[in-house]
Amino acid sequence: MKSSFDKIYDALRSVKLAVVLLVLLALFAIAGGIVPQGKPADFYLSRFPGPKSVIILRFGIDHVFSSIPFLLLSSAFVLNLTICTFHRLTGEFSKPRGKRRHGPDILHLGLIVLMFGAVLTARTRTGTTINLRKGESADLPDGAKIVLVDTTYEQYPDGRPKSWESTVEIYGGPSQASSAAAEAQHAVRQFRIRVNAPLRRKGYSIYQQNWHTEKEVVLKDPMGMSLSLDQGARADTKDGFVLFMALAPSEASTGEAGSPTTAVGTADLAVTAAPEEAATRAVFLLEQNGMRTVVKAAPGEKIGAFTFSGYLDQSISGLAIVTDRGYPFVAAGFILVILGVFITYIRKLKGMLA
Amino acid sequence: MIATVAFGLFILSLIIQIIYLFKKAGGQDGISHWLSLAAGILLLVEIVRRSIAIRFVALTGMFESLIFLACALAFLIFALRHFKSTKGNRVIPFGATIIALTFLALASSPLAPADVKPPVPALQSGWLVLHVSFTFIGEVFFAVGFVSAILQLATKSEEKRQNYDRATYTSIAVGYPIFTAGALVFGAIWAEKAWGVWWSWDPKETWALITWLTYTAYLHFRLVRKSTSRLVPALVIVGFAIAMFTFLGVNFLLKGLHSYA
Ligand code: HEM
Repeated sequence: MKSSFDKIYDALRSVKLAVVLLVLLALFAIAGGIVPQGKPADFYLSRFPGPKSVIILRFGIDHVFSSIPFLLLSSAFVLNLTICTFHRLTGEFSKPRGKRRHGPDILHLGLIVLMFGAVLTARTRTGTTINLRKGESADLPDGAKIVLVDTTYEQYPDGRPKSWESTVEIYGGPSQASSAAAEAQHAVRQFRIRVNAPLRRKGYSIYQQNWHTEKEVVLKDPMGMSLSLDQGARADTKDGFVLFMALAPSEASTGEAGSPTTAVGTADLAVTAAPEEAATRAVFLLEQNGMRTVVKAAPGEKIGAFTFSGYLDQSISGLAIVTDRGYPFVAAGFILVILGVFITYIRKLKGMLA
Repeated sequence: MIATVAFGLFILSLIIQIIYLFKKAGGQDGISHWLSLAAGILLLVEIVRRSIAIRFVALTGMFESLIFLACALAFLIFALRHFKSTKGNRVIPFGATIIALTFLALASSPLAPADVKPPVPALQSGWLVLHVSFTFIGEVFFAVGFVSAILQLATKSEEKRQNYDRATYTSIAVGYPIFTAGALVFGAIWAEKAWGVWWSWDPKETWALITWLTYTAYLHFRLVRKSTSRLVPALVIVGFAIAMFTFLGVNFLLKGLHSYA
């Protein structure tokens, strides 16, 4: 006679339960694969008119993968997998050495490690994007500073992006630098970050996430010195200032990452002289002796004591700074899963070729 | 041009196979698998030619993906004559040839523009090449499993059913590890390197996961169900339908991060 504990144990480690849970997980994923996830409620009301949107919102189909039923189901699956894995593993160890088959064990263990990593990622991953112009800096999670030294953007002849790359310098670091590694982090070092080639630092990684251009205005002061202003920036004068407010409406243009509308090679400060830009007007706020006026001007015109000499395209590099404590576990899980699945089937398929 | 010749070779191969299918007695023809091999080599030449033109492995667009699938399937059709579980079978290579032809027909449709384009930054990655190639190689084995599972359901003879079951299982047993490595592991590694997120539940990822869960369910179901169960091969048929939806349907019907590939 089996005790009820044994019965529960047997049920929890059964492959039948695994099949049922796998099918249920697939059904949840299908719901999440059909209905766009994580959009605002209005989106569903307009996209799925009538009772459909009510069902979607009521049952959390707009965020299936973080909904309670899905998380409960996943937990049940992990429990099933864990019990089953350890049961099989102990069974395998009680066999004579030559008869053991550890492929499925390695694979199942890898999945457990992977799911542990997934939970860690879901709970602790942080990601922020910083937008840097050449020469600008930002703080990093470990207290170090990152400075954008240069950006390069290349295009194919058809206008599609070929590469984005940022050259950065990192200096400073964890305040109590004692170990040799921390010392190394202290020194100023130059790195190149490209799409698909992130910069790995202790505890976080930096990714080239996007790239775009913004127009700056170039002004000449009475002495003939050039200075450039990005939107919202001002240049002070003896009796007031000039502030670059915006490009005149309908004339604004920025290049979005991936499909830039403005062609830029390297981010060298070269004043653009494209004919269509010569006519583009910019809006300035001018203060002289306490009097403020809004001035619209095209290149060549005067704004107070300055001459508005033209525009330049400033490239802005979007860098994502990500901490993900789960990923090392995920990566370890991946290695085990691949090892396990190949060991399992290479053994099984030996002799398949006639 | 090269793809058109390969298409012609597949058509010829199909005609020969049809003639032999109608011959009651006799074994397999001696030509069709060679035609398939020739088509595979031609398609490989096309992939290499395009790769040289863009200085990257030409696997980043819909057209190239379809050509790669047809190419891999062409080689597999040739190899089917040498596998224990499919040797001497006339119907499985026939079904697989129809699928290869379908891939090529789609490649020549307006859905898959054939212009040669070098990849955008996100696609310039060795992991992407591994991700796509392993996924597709896994999927051509799933294609053979799909044909065999249909035959397994259709046949009335118990002996044939068992043979088909073995052929189905063997195809999945080869395809599954390759697909697991390609679609899930290499895909996630690539996503992490490119975007800093190894999993983001975008539609393509979600559907790849559904495909994988379906085949995982098949492998476990087969462990516990009696060999006469019709549900077991049904999962393989559904699995391939989902794999093809992941590849084609998600691109055309749903939009996400992957909509460019
Ligand atoms: C996503 C999750 C899972 C994956 C990817 C997976 C994968 C696999 C694979 C590939 C095999 C080899 C099957 C074959 O013989 O063809 C296998 C076997 C097996 N799996 Fe899983 N599995 C998963 C979850 C589970 C769960 C939750 C259980 C719990 C009951 C389980 C129990 C087993 C058992 C008992 C075997 C048989 C091993 C043997 O041949 O002795 N699996 N698994």
